[in-house]
Amino acid sequence: MARKKDVSKELIEKSVEKSNSPLTKEDLLVKQKLEELGKNLIKEIEQGQSPQFETVLRARSNILHGEEGYLYLGDKKEKRVFLNVAQAKKFMQTVAVAAKCKKFKEENLHTSIRGLFYQLKFTLGEDIDEELFEEQSESNELVEDLEVALNLKREDLNLSTDRKGVVAGNLILKDKFGGEEIEIDCTKQGRSGWMIPSDVDNGMEFIDVDVDYVLVIEKDALWQRLNEDKFWKKENCLIITPKGQASRGCRRLIRKLADRGLPIYCFMDCDAWGWYIYWTIKTGSMNLAYLGKNIATPEAKFIGVTMSDIERYDFLKKLTINAKEVDIKRAEELLSYPWINKYEDWVKELKTVLDTKKKIEQDALQGPRLTFVGEYLREKIEKKLFLH
Amino acid sequence: MEDKKDLSLNIMSEANAAVPKEPVQNAEAKSTAITAGVEEVKSQEIFSEFREHSVAEFFKKNRQMLGFSGKVRSLTTLVHEYVTNSLDACEEAKILPNIYVKIDTLPDGHLRLYVEDNGPGIPKQFIGKALGQMLAGTKFHRFVQQRGQQGIGAAGCTMYAQITTGKPVHVRSSTGDNNIYECDIAVDLKTNSPKISNMVEYTGKYRGLTVIGEFGEVKYDKSEYSPFEYLKATALANPHAQITMVEPNGERTVFQRAHSEVPDRPKPAQPHPLGVTTDDLINYSHHSKERKLSSFLTTNFARVSDAKIEELKKLCPSINFDKMPRELKWEEAEALVNAFKQIKWIAPSADPLRPIGKEQIEKALKNVLQPEFISVSERSPKVFRGGVPFLVEVGIAYKGKAGRQKADGTVGLDVKRFANRAPLLFDAGGCATMEAVKTIDWGRYGLKDIENMPVTLFMNLVSVHVPYTSAGKQAISPEEEIVEEFRYAIMEVARDLDRYISGKIRDEQREARKKAILRYVKQLASDLPYLAGEKTPEELEKKLIQIIESKYSKIFEKGRLSQDEEKKIKKDIENAAEDLEE
Repeated sequence: MARKKDVSKELIEKSVEKSNSPLTKEDLLVKQKLEELGKNLIKEIEQGQSPQFETVLRARSNILHGEEGYLYLGDKKEKRVFLNVAQAKKFMQTVAVAAKCKKFKEENLHTSIRGLFYQLKFTLGEDIDEELFEEQSESNELVEDLEVALNLKREDLNLSTDRKGVVAGNLILKDKFGGEEIEIDCTKQGRSGWMIPSDVDNGMEFIDVDVDYVLVIEKDALWQRLNEDKFWKKENCLIITPKGQASRGCRRLIRKLADRGLPIYCFMDCDAWGWYIYWTIKTGSMNLAYLGKNIATPEAKFIGVTMSDIERYDFLKKLTINAKEVDIKRAEELLSYPWINKYEDWVKELKTVLDTKKKIEQDALQGPRLTFVGEYLREKIEKKLFLH
Repeated sequence: MEDKKDLSLNIMSEANAAVPKEPVQNAEAKSTAITAGVEEVKSQEIFSEFREHSVAEFFKKNRQMLGFSGKVRSLTTLVHEYVTNSLDACEEAKILPNIYVKIDTLPDGHLRLYVEDNGPGIPKQFIGKALGQMLAGTKFHRFVQQRGQQGIGAAGCTMYAQITTGKPVHVRSSTGDNNIYECDIAVDLKTNSPKISNMVEYTGKYRGLTVIGEFGEVKYDKSEYSPFEYLKATALANPHAQITMVEPNGERTVFQRAHSEVPDRPKPAQPHPLGVTTDDLINYSHHSKERKLSSFLTTNFARVSDAKIEELKKLCPSINFDKMPRELKWEEAEALVNAFKQIKWIAPSADPLRPIGKEQIEKALKNVLQPEFISVSERSPKVFRGGVPFLVEVGIAYKGKAGRQKADGTVGLDVKRFANRAPLLFDAGGCATMEAVKTIDWGRYGLKDIENMPVTLFMNLVSVHVPYTSAGKQAISPEEEIVEEFRYAIMEVARDLDRYISGKIRDEQREARKKAILRYVKQLASDLPYLAGEKTPEELEKKLIQIIESKYSKIFEKGRLSQDEEKKIKKDIENAAEDLEE
């Protein structure tokens, strides 16, 4: 192992020296991981064995949760073996993806997984009536395999995901991109805010984060409302909207902000979607359990809207709507998850939903007057009226 | 046959058994195994009933018992008599048999049967006895496993020609000394003596015997009981013989010799008391030159010592053991046979057993059926009835021409039965072979649908004493030991076939897997060197193909599995299970 490390260090230094490459050390490490995967496979072939690599089992049975309050994968491993009829094609595809990613890395270019798919959509040969990839859905799973096997995120492999989510507030970042380096000041993004990129790690650097807390707002409409109110300026906070379900980049950004000791408050609808978005931010999702704590923020708190708000703010009584079946189902489901039902306040909250069969949208808080949203948030934060 | 008075008494058993099969110059070496004949009670009835009748009368009344029942069967019996004679004669003379059989339809509806062999031929002075006298030259001092244990012999065929067409049979023969003779032969039905006419002699190159006969009350067809099937079966059990058949429509079939070694001459042996029936005992005693019954028993039977005579005396106090053997009465013979069964005997020697042999059966099956898979059992000799040695040989053939064409055109299980290499075509129902086939749990061998599979089962009973169910000698009595032995042998070959079929299926699966994986080799081999930054696609492709070829190599070659291969299969099954789990 020691020898291997030396060699790789040498390699990195050499290539940095030689090409005066724009690649960072992190980039080179990723490239080296990819090469090691290839070398190990070749070694097995040389020894007359079926090439294979190990990845962590991503099935439900291997998704764990612990004291720390997020979902992660256990130790169960699975093998990806070329000499297995059921796996041969996927194996070959995974290697094709890995080789492509190495190329992206060398070229220092990024693409989406759809772009990757088109790069790999070609026929396997004149005599084979089959394409390397026929559907994009085929490649998604393999990208995850690679992420897990190499202990990397797809963003590290120069694969970008759709951007979603907007920030405003006193956050200054450095963005190294396309051979340029620019500074972004999130206080100067006007009515639109700064759109969160898919990768907030590679080539992204916090320069200054001078806020007291981070407020995550489910709906863009409410974010726009608060932005117009200059809520972030008055409260010295960051306001972020994931615009519905939070993207990987958005969740990663929230995690990074929490890492700086900032409280994370979430402001969501009191309904199936709102809860779901909140819990995905807080514990991570089962789908991305392999990213574990890198994408979960267990410290996050739920400001509202809550069922008890109906008691607290009289006008809300008239603004509730009947919960739909999907809301009831979701509430029941959440109650069954041990990483959720360990929080008593949430058990009480969800049971109330089941009892009253009511829900409230965050928009309802604009009932009395448009600026009431801000007042509501201020009061709740001041009095620390949160759910876990 | 010095004593004509005894003749009628002997008819039954001898008619059933062998009559002169071989050229008479071999008279010493020739004759005649004992026979189980008919059930004892039945025999007795017949004996008393026909005591006063002539051979011919007996023949006429009992032709169905002798194989002459039904027009198709009668023809097959005729072919059988001549062909077995030829095979036995060639075997005795260590000649590789070439037998030519031709059947023609005559305008009057009769059939002409022409059988020619390349055997030792029959010297002129013996031809009359061989083809024109029933029960001629009988001697009972040998106990030999031979085909000619059944049927009525060539003289019987001559009689059949006379009875159905009134014509003698025509014969040509030479012992290979450039002297050929031809003549017509008939049986004088009143005196049971040969009538030879139209004798001509000339010089020429020929050795062997040719018989040409015209027969009525016979019919040619190509059913499973036909002469054609009979000869095909004969070829199976006699791979050293070359048999050519020309059917009435001119179609010619050659059953090629598969093996050019004449089987060893069977060793003669004395009959063992446990294999003897009452009428055998009567037969033997009436031909014995011994003066006392006691010495007749000790000299003519295996394992009978003076001490055993003492035991017999105690068991049969009413029998005078000092009297002439020929004075032995039926009741006394019966009592003796019963007494034999109460005494502990040393088992007879299994030496005289001459199986066809695994290799020869394989060759024959391959030759006649060209199957995809063959397996032949290897069993050691066993005994039945407490002491009669026997051995079973079972072969299984799969695909190719194996199996029986059924009425609906599909192919199903075909059971070819033999006793000492002689095909058994009739009376399958009560036969020990069928009893064994019926009681096998074929499902255990993945052959549940055996009735509808292209499978031929070759089943041969080898014994100096074949226990036939009836005088027709077409079915082996289902003795418990024989049926059990046949069952074991069938299981042996069924297991092999099962292994072959499932191995083949596995091979097909492996082949499919291999192909599925090979599709992706090129792409993988071209991506890996770039990913790793080492090696070339060509190197990796070659190596990967090697790995795949070796993992999915064929496990079945030429229908055989070596032990190594079996181990591999086992491992493969485990791997396959793992694959499934994955």
